[in-house]
Amino acid sequence: MNKFKTTFLQTYISKVRAKSFIISTLIVVLLIFLAANVDRIISLFDSSEEIATIEVDGGEAAVTQVETLFEAAETDMDVVPHEGGEAAGDTAVLSIENTDPMTFNISAENEIPEAQMTQIDTALGEYQRMTNIQELDITPEEAEQLGQTPEVSYDIAATADEAGEDAAGESETPELNPLNSIIFYVTVIIMFFIIINYASQIGSEIAMEKSSRVIEMIVSSVHPITHLMAKISAMISVSITQLLVFIIAVVIAIQMFDFNNLISEFGLESNDLTLRLAIYSLLYLILGLVLYLAISALLGSFVSRMEDLQQALMPVTMLSLFGFYIGIFNTFSGENMLVVITSYIPPFTPFVMPLRAMHETTGQLVLLTGVLIMIVTIILVVMLASSIYRNSVLSTDTGIMKNLRRIRKE
Amino acid sequence: MSLELNNLTKRFGGNTAVDDINLTVPSGSMYGFLGGNGAGKTTTFRMILGLLEQTEGSITYENQTINYNVTNRIGYLPEERGLHPKLKVEEQIKYLGELKGMNKNDISDKLDHWLERFEVPENRNKRIEKLSKGNQQKIQLIASIIHQPELIILDEPFSGLDPVNVEILKKAVKELNREGATIIFSTHRMEHVEEMCEELCILNHGQQVVSGNIDQIKSDFGQKEIIIEGDHDVAFLKDMPGVIDMKQVRSKTTLKISEEQYAEQIYNEITSLGYFKRFQVKEPSLNDIFIAKVGRQYEQV
Repeated sequence: MNKFKTTFLQTYISKVRAKSFIISTLIVVLLIFLAANVDRIISLFDSSEEIATIEVDGGEAAVTQVETLFEAAETDMDVVPHEGGEAAGDTAVLSIENTDPMTFNISAENEIPEAQMTQIDTALGEYQRMTNIQELDITPEEAEQLGQTPEVSYDIAATADEAGEDAAGESETPELNPLNSIIFYVTVIIMFFIIINYASQIGSEIAMEKSSRVIEMIVSSVHPITHLMAKISAMISVSITQLLVFIIAVVIAIQMFDFNNLISEFGLESNDLTLRLAIYSLLYLILGLVLYLAISALLGSFVSRMEDLQQALMPVTMLSLFGFYIGIFNTFSGENMLVVITSYIPPFTPFVMPLRAMHETTGQLVLLTGVLIMIVTIILVVMLASSIYRNSVLSTDTGIMKNLRRIRKE
Repeated sequence: MSLELNNLTKRFGGNTAVDDINLTVPSGSMYGFLGGNGAGKTTTFRMILGLLEQTEGSITYENQTINYNVTNRIGYLPEERGLHPKLKVEEQIKYLGELKGMNKNDISDKLDHWLERFEVPENRNKRIEKLSKGNQQKIQLIASIIHQPELIILDEPFSGLDPVNVEILKKAVKELNREGATIIFSTHRMEHVEEMCEELCILNHGQQVVSGNIDQIKSDFGQKEIIIEGDHDVAFLKDMPGVIDMKQVRSKTTLKISEEQYAEQIYNEITSLGYFKRFQVKEPSLNDIFIAKVGRQYEQV
C-alpha cells in the first residue's frame, strides 16, 4: 500500500505541477467566466437601441389598430400618432402604404434589436391579416377555417407492439430544454477534451518508463500491477482534479455574476429532467474518463518506444471521436435507433447515455444499465491491462502484434 | 544465510536462455558472473529478482523464495540503464528510495553522502537528461544502493565508464562488501572478477561452465603455467612428461603442465644447465580455464 502511495503521489504531484496542466485548466476557467458573461459581452458589441415609442403615420383607425395589435403581441412599445418630424432617439416612425401587398416602412435613428424587429414583424403580419379579412368581407370564423392545418397521425402496428422505450421516441422530435442541451454539450465536450488530453499523457507516462528502462529498477521494488494501478489512479485523480476546478469555477461564476439576464435572454430555465440529466452526466463523465484512461494504459503497455505511442493510441482517438459525434449530431434528432444501440456499446455509452437522459421517454433502468455496462467494462479493461503490463514490462519488442505473440509464447 | 539457485532453467519458446544452473552465493561474499553477450547473466538476475519466472528449478534467499516482501532488502542495478529523464536527481532518488521503504530525510542524508563519494555533488538539482552518461550511471548506482541493501545485484556496473570512474565505483563496491553486503555482479571483463571476487560463475550460452571459489577452481583445475627466462636452449622441455604446451618468445618460455608435481623435475633439468633469470610456477588464468572447459577462446565483446 505504501508503494502504491509513493507512485501515486509522485505521478499526481508531478502532473498537477506540470505547465500543461496549469495552462489548460486556466484556459477553460477563463472560458467559463466568459460564458457566464456572454450577454454582457454581446451587448458590448451590440450598437442597437430598443425602441420605446413608435409613431404611426396614418389615420386614427390605423393608430388604434396598431396599438391593439402591439399590445396583443406583448411589446413594450408605446404606440402614438405621428405628428411630423424625423425619427430620433428611441422613437421610430411607422408609415403604412395601403397597396397590395401592404408595405410598411419603419424609420429609426439607431439599429433596432433583433428581438424587437421580430415582434414588430409579427404584429404587422397580424395587421395585414385583419385588413385582408375586412377587405374580403368574411367573418373571423371563416378566416380561421381558411388558416386551419390538417391533423395527421401515423398508427403503425409494428412500433405500437414494441415494448416501451424506442417506440415513443421515433415518431416525433421532442422539444429540448435549452439548459439541458447546454449541460449535455458541456459534458460531452469536456469529456472529449479530457480524454484526448489524458489518454496521451497516461500512454506516454507508461511508454516513457519503458523506453527509458527505468521500469526495471521500479519493478524490482514494487509489483508491476501495483505500479500500473497507482499510475492509472493518479492520472484519473489528476483529470478529476481538473474537472473539480472547472466545477468550482462554474459555482464561483454563478455566485459572482447576475444570471437573470442570461437566463431570460436564452430561455435557460430548468425543467424536471435537469437534475436527473446533471447527475447522470457527471456520473458518465467520470466513468467515461476512467474507461478511456484504462484503455490508454492498456495500449501504452504495448509500446516500448515513444515514437510508437501515437499510433498505439489511435483507437482511443477514433472511439472517442465516434462517440462524441454520435452524441453531438443526434442531440436534436431524439432517440433514434443509432442512439439506442450505441448507448449500450461501452466506448460510446458515456457520450450517448447523457443524451438519452435528456429525454423523458428514457427510463431509469436504461440509464442504470449503462452505468453497469461501464463498470463491468472498466473492470475487464483494467484486468487485461494488468496482465499485459506484467508480461510486457521488460520487453523491448515494438508493436502490438509482436508483444501479443511474445506474451502467448511465454 | 545465502542465495541458492537449483536447476535453474529459462526457456523462451524453443530457445534456452539459461540451462540448469546450480550455485550458492555465500552470505557476505563478492560473487562474479562472467560471460559474453547472450550468456544468460541478465536473465539469471531477472529470475533471482522475480521479474521473470523460471521455467524450471528454484531460487531461495535465506531459505525463502524471493518476492516483494524481501525486495526492500535487495538492491538492483539493471544492465539497461535508464532513469526518468525529466526528473531532477534528487526527485528521482527520493522516488526510488521511497519505493524501497525509506523516509525522505534518510534519503536526503544518504544522497549527500553518495554524491560526495562519487564526486558529483553539483548534480543534485540537475535534470537527469542534462547529465552525461557516466554521471547518469553513478546516479543509478546510488539509487540501487541508497537503502543499504543486504544483497546487491549489479548487472555490468562498470561498462561504459572511463578508467577513473571505474576505480571510484570499484572502491565503493568493495567497501559495501566490507560493510557486510552480499554482492553479485556480472561483467564480461575477466580482470574485474579476478581482482574483486572470491567466488564466480562462468556462463557460456546459458550453460554454467564452472562455478565456486576462485582459488579452489584454480587449484582443482590442476594445470599450472611455468615461466622460464634465460639464455640457454630449453626446446627439449617440450618432450618432458606433463608438459601440454610450450611457447617461446625470444628468451622467455611459457610451459603449460597438467599437474604441479611435474614442475620440480623441470626445475631440476634447467638448473643443471646453468643460470636462469626467472623460474616461476603460476596459477592458471580464468582465460585458460575457460579455454580448457569450452574448447575455444573466451569472447570479450
